[in-house]
Parts: sequence; C-alpha cells; structure tokens
Amino acid sequence: MTMTSTEGSNHGPSVAVPVATHASLDISKLKDKISIRNLEFFYGDSRALKSISLSLYANKATAFIGPSGCGKSTLLRVLNRMYDLYPGQRATGDVIFDGDNLLRPDQDINLLRARIGMVFQKPTPFPMTIYENVAFGVRLYENLPRAELDGRVEQALRRAALWDEVKDKLATNGQSLSGGQQQRLCIARTVAVKPEVILFDEPCSALDPISTAKIEELIDELKQDYTIVIVTHNMQQAARVSDFTAFMYLGELIEFGATATLFTTPKDKRTQAYITGRFG
Amino acid sequence: MPEHTLKRFDEELERLSATISEMGGLAENQLAQSLVALRTRDTEAAEKVIGDDARVDALDEAVQEQTIKLLALRQPMAIDLRVILSSIKIAAALERIADYAKNNAKRSIVLSQTTPPPAAVSGIDRLGRLVRVALKDVLDAFAHGDVDKARDVWQRDEEIDQVYTGLFRELLTYMMEDPRTITACSHLMFMAKNIERAGDHVTNIAELVSFRTAGHGFEEARPKGSAALYAAGSAP
Amino acid sequence: MTNTTIATASSPLYSGRRRRNAIAKTLAWIATAFGLGWLILILGVLLYQGIGGLSLSVFTEMTPPPGAAGGLLNAIVGSLIITVLAVLIGTPIGILAGTYLAEYGRHDKLSSVVRFINDILLSAPSIVIGLFVYEIMVAPMGHFSGWAGAVALAVIVIPVVVRTTEDMLTLVPDTLREAAASIGLPRALMIMRIAYRAARAGIVTGILLAVARISGETAPLLFTALNNQFFSVNMSQPMPSLPVVIFQFALSPYEEWQKLAWTGALLITITVLALSVIARSLTASRKSS
Repeated sequence: MTMTSTEGSNHGPSVAVPVATHASLDISKLKDKISIRNLEFFYGDSRALKSISLSLYANKATAFIGPSGCGKSTLLRVLNRMYDLYPGQRATGDVIFDGDNLLRPDQDINLLRARIGMVFQKPTPFPMTIYENVAFGVRLYENLPRAELDGRVEQALRRAALWDEVKDKLATNGQSLSGGQQQRLCIARTVAVKPEVILFDEPCSALDPISTAKIEELIDELKQDYTIVIVTHNMQQAARVSDFTAFMYLGELIEFGATATLFTTPKDKRTQAYITGRFG
Repeated sequence: MPEHTLKRFDEELERLSATISEMGGLAENQLAQSLVALRTRDTEAAEKVIGDDARVDALDEAVQEQTIKLLALRQPMAIDLRVILSSIKIAAALERIADYAKNNAKRSIVLSQTTPPPAAVSGIDRLGRLVRVALKDVLDAFAHGDVDKARDVWQRDEEIDQVYTGLFRELLTYMMEDPRTITACSHLMFMAKNIERAGDHVTNIAELVSFRTAGHGFEEARPKGSAALYAAGSAP
Repeated sequence: MTNTTIATASSPLYSGRRRRNAIAKTLAWIATAFGLGWLILILGVLLYQGIGGLSLSVFTEMTPPPGAAGGLLNAIVGSLIITVLAVLIGTPIGILAGTYLAEYGRHDKLSSVVRFINDILLSAPSIVIGLFVYEIMVAPMGHFSGWAGAVALAVIVIPVVVRTTEDMLTLVPDTLREAAASIGLPRALMIMRIAYRAARAGIVTGILLAVARISGETAPLLFTALNNQFFSVNMSQPMPSLPVVIFQFALSPYEEWQKLAWTGALLITITVLALSVIARSLTASRKSS
C-alpha cells in the first residue's frame, strides 16, 4: 500500500490509499465535506487508529467496514468528538470539516455536534413524547413560534418516513414505539436540528429486516441533503447504501474506494478475504 | 486465497468449476471429433457428435442452476462474485462452441456425399486444430487461474483470423475455378466461419479467465484480422 | 459415528443433582417462612394491641399527663414537621451529591472517597448521628430544638438519597447521554432534561425510602428534639415526635400511655408500609414502561 503525503495540497481528493473509482463516480468532481489526515486515536496509551487519511465526500454515503475492533466505530466517534465525553481518549492529526479543524481544542463541541448529527446502534428516544423528542433539539438553537415548531416537527418526521405512523399520537411517549419506529424517531430528531453530516453507528443491528430496509431507503434519500457516514457490520448493507467504502483492519485504513469497485474488485488481499467471508 | 469460513461455500464453488471443466473437456472433444468426421468422411462419428451435443447442453443447464443457487444463497462478493458470473458466461461460450461442432458435423455428413477439394478440407482441418489447441490451452488457464496463459491464447486469435481469411480466399478461388464444387465449398465456407466463431468464443473465455482471476479483461485493443477480408466483398 | 444421548434421568450424576436441588429448595422455603413469620407476628401483635386505641381523639388531642386520657396530635404534627424539614434539607444535598458521583465525577478519585464515606454514613448507627448533632447544635445552643432534630434526620436522609440517585443515574444508559450530546446538548442540560427524567421514578423511590427510614428513628431525636408535652411548632424549642413519645410511653407504668404507644407504633408502621408500597409500585411501573 502506498502512503502518499497529502500535506499542503488543497486541491483534489486527499486520500492515503489508492482510490478505486467507478464509472459513475468521478471523484475529481466531488467535494470533500470532511478530510481526515493522519488521524491517530488513543484509548489511554493504546493506539486504536493508525495514521488514517481519507475524504468523506459531500452528499455521498461512505461506509466503514471491518471486523470487530478494527476501529471503525472509533473513527466515526472522532467525527463528532463523541469521545470527549470520556476521559483518557484523545485524537491527533487533522479532521478538516468545511475548512475548520474539528479537533482543535477550542472547538465549540456543542455547535459542532449540532452540525454533525449521529444515529446510534440502539434506538435512543428521550424519555418524553414523540413530539418533544423531535422538538427538543430544535428548541436548543432556535426560538420558534409554536406553529413554526409544529411545522419543523412534522417536516422532520416526514423526512424520517414516520409521520403517517405517529401523526395521531404525537403526545405519547417516544419509548412506546417499536424498535424500527424508535430508530426513525431518532433520525427525525437528528434531522430536525438541520445538521450537514449524519453519522450512523450500526443503525440497523437491532432491527428486523423490514425496518432495516426502511432505514436503508431513508439513508439513500437523506444523501440528497446530507453527507452520510455509516458504520456497519453488515457488508451487504454497506454495499446497498454507500457510494464509497473504507475497509479497516487493526486500526488501519486498508482500502478506500467506490463501493461498486471495492465489492467487485478489491485491490488488497485482506479486503478480498474479509468481504468474501474468508477471514480468520 | 484462504478458504471460506463457511466450508460448504468452497465446496459449491469447486463443484461449479468442476462442472465447467467437464463441459470444456466435452466441448473440446466435440470439436476434435467433428474434425475427424470431416477428415475421414465418417458419418458415424458425425452422428455421435450430433447426439452428444445434448450432454453439453445438460451441463450448461447444470451450471446455470448452480450459479443461481450460489447467487441467491451465498450473496457472493468480489472474487467469488466474479468467479460465479464468469462461470455462466464461460458455460455459454462452451455451449456455443459445441453447437458449432455439431453444425460442422451435420455439414460433414452432407459433404461425405460429395467430393470437396482435398486441399480445402485439410485447410479446415488446420484451422480447426488451431482453435482446438487454443480451447485446450484456455481450459488449462481456467483450471489454474493462469492469466498469462489466457493472455497468450487471447493473442493467438489474430493467427486464427489470418488462417480463416486465407482459407476464405482459397475457397472463393476453388468455386471460381470449378463451379461444380460450389455446393461443397459453400458448406466448407460455413464450416470455416463456424470454426472462426468458435475461436472468438475461445478468446472470450480467455478474457473471462482474466476477469475472474484479476478483476479485469486484457487492456490492449484486441488483435483483429485485416480489413482486406471485408474489402474482398466477403462473408459476415 | 453415532450420536447417543448421555442425558438420561437414570444417570446417578443426574439423580444426585435432583436430590440436592430438592434439599436446597426445602431449606430455602423454611428460611423464607421463618423470616416472614416474624414479620406477620409483629404486624399481628401491633394490630391487636394498637387498633383498640385508634380513635378520633388520637388525632385531635394532646399527649396526656399520666393517668389521663389524650391523643397524639402534638407528636404527629411534630413528627411531620421534623420529617418534612429533614427531607427538604437532605434531598437536595443528596441528589446533587449523587449527580456528581454519577455524572461528573464518575472517574475521579474523589468520587470513590465520597462513595466510601457515604456507604459508611449509610450504615452508621443512628444514635451516633444523634450524638453528633447534639454536640454541634444542642450543646452550643444550650437547649434541645426541633431544628436539631431535623438536621439529625437530614444526616440520615442524605446517604440514602446519594446512593439511590447515583444508582439510578448510573442505570440511565450511556447511549442516551451520547444521543443527547449528539444533538449538541450541553452536559448540564442533558442531566437536567434527560438523565433526571429517565431516572425520575428511581430517585423519587429513594426519597420515599429515606422518609420511611427516618419516620421510625428514635435515638437521634432523643438527643436533639427531645420531646414536648405540649403542642409546639416552634422549631427552636424541644419538639415532640411519635417515636420518642412511643419510647417514653411504652416504658412508663401507666396503662393509658402504654395503649397510646401501641397506637403510635401502629400509625408509624402503616405509614412506613404505605411509603414502601408506593416506592415499590413506582419502580415497578418504571420497569414495565
């Protein structure tokens, strides 16, 4: 694997591994939403990410795949500084988000997180009504009159393909919904804050196939307005929803490229072994 | 390449490749026997070739069945996916090659009632043996995943095309010299065309061997016979 | 290779296991019956002895002088005032300390020290707490007072509330905290708007249990609020309370006092029982939701 230095180059994609493109995806025409450069991550003294460099393209879905413990979730949680909640975790390197290094110490983390939303593995509705779950985040940053807030809540729930199922019971507790509905409620909550990037951390691993299909369809639609990053154990899911895929192994980025290429003709033997089920 | 964690998958892929190999051996034999039937004017051998085509067709169906099952049940990716997809296409190519052998066998029965120019018959035989060797080599390349060997076969298509062009001209000459040979020579012309087409399928198989192993075909422009053939106002 | 089942009911290993299981089960039954038996006995005697004295006058009349009839009004009111005050003092401190332990200082060294001390406080004999408050309040002021009683009980309330608050907040899954953080919610707001809400039933349960605990405490009150024959809402003066009145009346030779003591004991027991049941149902409804 060649590690090309991308220091100082502001033009073109910055990637450390050769990017396999695909006929329908010309990366030279894509805009970097987030550029990760030489990112290292530490849990205490142990290094969980080793010199990761890759680009997350605007309005594209990028999937992180790899065996358990490869660092894919860690990488995702760097992108909204979620690791800040825990002592002893730190990141070095650059993560450039719209020209701003989001790792800088004086970064306003709450504002950052409002711009980079996240949906978790387990549905995490707040202990409040469906309406409040969605309105909650909006109220944090905007002082809207009631009618307008109602509109925003409806819009977000529609965006999450949940409106028709809950419009008559907005006042019931969000935690009374089914697992798939709860997850869509969480997506609505994230969307309501109007972020630019949405991070999905194994969003379907607790859901049945039909709910999974609904979430995947949703992710596909959300790409029009947001940059999507998704961590998944399910390779078929990565293949179905993403435009680009990054394969990680033991804290390293092994291969990054157009999903259609990576799943048909991967360059690296380890990628091939992993996606064809020949690992370990 | 290490084994799949799921060993059944490996077994199924091996079975698929074994089916293709068996089919390839059969197609090669059909081609060889059709040449023997022509050369020795042996109608019995020709009948056998015609009858045995059903075996090739049956194997082709077996390949299709296996690939559909693999696609539906194993959700193959990367090299597995390429192996499975190329298997369908290789089987189809082999089936076509066997069809051409069958068609030539039919024509050789007709020819056994006439007296075709011996030189023309041996020309067909020479062309046929070239394609047969190419088929044998490409099947070897398939069995061993040998991209270099496949590339070699692929490049030899040029030679086959040239021999075909020469033979075509030769047959035209015979027909002009002696109109009584027109019936026999037009059969020989179709046979030559059949063999040339079989050669094209061998070339396709060579590309598929490269695709399944390395993920791509051969980059260079494929060698093509001279345009003179078409200038001579010739066959398809 | 044939696969023969080795698990059969007749195997000596298995029948031995079944026998041991039967023995253990029987012992467990006996132990449970023994424990519950005493409880039923206590409740039965309390009801038998106390129900007779239960009348309207218990709630309307003051504690009588020896030999006269009367009620427990001043003791009930005193108990209520002291308990409410103790809860008002102890709960905020307890909740805030519990919040620190669960939310801010989860990984701090200070937290483990605080947690350790809190556990000691939780199991400290209440008489020690009474003595302590006597030393810091009653002795300097020169007299017993309702305030001192409330403070003593507050000291008992605090560790209970700290413990339950911390436990309940720790039960709130981290994913919920991360979800709150992921929409840009600052930590303080997250705690107040999300974590407290998720842990509400548990925290309330803890407070109710603390109330149940202090409503029967006698020893700390003996050293602090002491007692008062008369109706008093003056916190600076000695104050009557049910447990102390029960203590005093039960030990007296007068039959009327003894009868009132039984009635007071029944009242406290019913109150504590009711609080426990409410606390239980709160936790139960939380689990089912």
